[in-house]
Amino acid sequence: MFKKVLIANRGEIAVRVIRACRDMGIRTVVVHSDIDKLSLHVQLADEAVLIGPAPATESYLNMDRIIRAAHDTSSEAIHPGYGFLAENADFARLCEKENIVFIGPNSQALALVGDKVRARETMAKAGIPIIPGMEAISRSVTEFEAAARSIGYPVIVKASAGGGGKGMRIVCEEKDLRPAVEAGMREAKSAFGDESVYLEKYIEEPRHVEFQVLADNAGQTVHLFERECSIQRRHQKIVEETPSPALDPELRARMAETAKKAMRAAGYNNAGTVEFLLDKDRNFYFLEVNARLQVEHPVTELVTGVDLVRRQILIASGEKLTLKQEDLRQSGHAIECRIYAEDPENNFLPSPGRILFLKEPQGPGVRYDGGIYGGWEVPIYYDPILAKLIVWAEDRESACRRMAAALDDFVILGIHTTNAFLKDIINHPEFRAGRTNTAFIKKYFDGWKESGKNEDDLRLVLAAAAFDEMAAATRPGGRPDRETKEGAATPWKTLGHWRIGGAGSHGI
Amino acid sequence: MEFEFLIDGAPRKIFLEKKENTYVIGDGETALEAEIRSVSENEMMFFAGGRSSRVYIARDGERRLVFTGGRVFVVCESLYEAGHSPGGDERTPEEGRHIKAPMPGKVIKLNVALGEDVRKNQTLLIVEAMKMENEIKAAIEGTVKKIHVAAGDLVDSEKSLIEIEPKR
Repeated sequence: MFKKVLIANRGEIAVRVIRACRDMGIRTVVVHSDIDKLSLHVQLADEAVLIGPAPATESYLNMDRIIRAAHDTSSEAIHPGYGFLAENADFARLCEKENIVFIGPNSQALALVGDKVRARETMAKAGIPIIPGMEAISRSVTEFEAAARSIGYPVIVKASAGGGGKGMRIVCEEKDLRPAVEAGMREAKSAFGDESVYLEKYIEEPRHVEFQVLADNAGQTVHLFERECSIQRRHQKIVEETPSPALDPELRARMAETAKKAMRAAGYNNAGTVEFLLDKDRNFYFLEVNARLQVEHPVTELVTGVDLVRRQILIASGEKLTLKQEDLRQSGHAIECRIYAEDPENNFLPSPGRILFLKEPQGPGVRYDGGIYGGWEVPIYYDPILAKLIVWAEDRESACRRMAAALDDFVILGIHTTNAFLKDIINHPEFRAGRTNTAFIKKYFDGWKESGKNEDDLRLVLAAAAFDEMAAATRPGGRPDRETKEGAATPWKTLGHWRIGGAGSHGI
Repeated sequence: MEFEFLIDGAPRKIFLEKKENTYVIGDGETALEAEIRSVSENEMMFFAGGRSSRVYIARDGERRLVFTGGRVFVVCESLYEAGHSPGGDERTPEEGRHIKAPMPGKVIKLNVALGEDVRKNQTLLIVEAMKMENEIKAAIEGTVKKIHVAAGDLVDSEKSLIEIEPKR
């Protein structure tokens, strides 16, 4: 087993990997940009190496610096997390060349599945159903136009190297194609360092169902069931669950076998996910392989009891898979909500800034995976994911209630987050009924505003603000948190007459 | 003592007065006697009617962010503007002149040139933050009068980006 592992990532996933390493008695090294020197992952790791300035291209995507950091700290392996270099075959190849174990698939399989176009070709040859689309990437807008015409609108622009919604654009008419392709290329370039994009037929209102697979270096493959990830905004998942309300045992078995077959066709090893679209008629299509640990991996961990990060490390160290397919079971129901630094009332505008106060929820079956702390400043440079809240319960209904309660107990002050939005999703009757698809947010949550603040809470909040104002005034040194503005009126004032009591008294 | 606040943008008054070990809270229609304790810099305890509630509070310049019952409330003194600026359609032509950065980020593309005529909702520039491109659109029809930024610039929230002369 490795003695020391370097984690080439940041945020909640770096923290997650550090925790798995600790469980296994492995020392951890993290790399970080200068703006991340106070980040949680840096604080938790045994060693930290500064690798460059804030922009990811100069730090978390800088392969040479990361390799050098691994050598300098005598790290034997690198865990790439998700995003950044996680699905970069050049990086995996570089690790192989430098004699550092890349905790992920071999570089050939990674190159194959990471190239969405080649992956589609391979899968089609293996008899796996794929979505109609372009057979090669292109940089010519004319070729895109011709392809879109032959596939038929609506089409979707996708980054060949990508995932996580980066670079994706849905196009309904030819006039919108050029800007969509250009924006897709720019986004793909900045997110993955590769601007290649291609087109696929856009399947409307499908479900997004994926299967978790583990394969050891000897080619032994098991699946760990599905995750339903239909609740998406900007093509990015925000709520995931398992089991999927859409599958019955027969369909689940068929999709699982297809997923394993896809991984074998790609010569894949380590942890990976096969994503499918499931249409209204329960036809499923291969979408792509996510050749990494997924953001939503915890829901699988909660229903199967398997620690996926630990398994990744075991497989990478050369151990044979000890899990047997027939021993794996889905037990109970798990749901994950992604907590993003975004303003859901304002078109999910990113909301970087200082977290002034943080209190995580607790309780049986509640798991919190976070990369933040109170007082920390969320930088503008990286993905807006702050944390993930995951619950497990014996059945779906209880899991929904548990999630809603946990979100109620989750305090993040200082920046906008998706918490209130997520709570409304979980409480939505269509979600409760399990009728989810990728158009869910657009259909039911377009122009969403937070509602349901009750009058008692409002009064309590006002009283709290007033009490705080009084306390601030009597505090020695006045009001340290505030700058006195010249010409500003006294913080409180007595206005006219005030009536206390009266009809309709409410308690707090 | 009476306080006037903007809570989530709406003006509200509240009365609070210390009475030995408790406080009287009133809002004109209802009144309540409660014990209030500051537990830590960010936590307060209210005890009234046989039950206690915990309220979380953080101070951010002129704003207070207060959490209770699973919700965040933005409380400002009524003298100051609330945190949110209104969306495009609520802007008057006067406000629509100044295109400001809606969040901190990096200007990655300018789509218009000085002197160019723009339509309402036309994309003027693209600001990237947290790896997402955000199209900044014209709130009014007019002519580009000033451009304060260039591609590659880092901008703070509320930074003036472009000025538009409204069409008469």
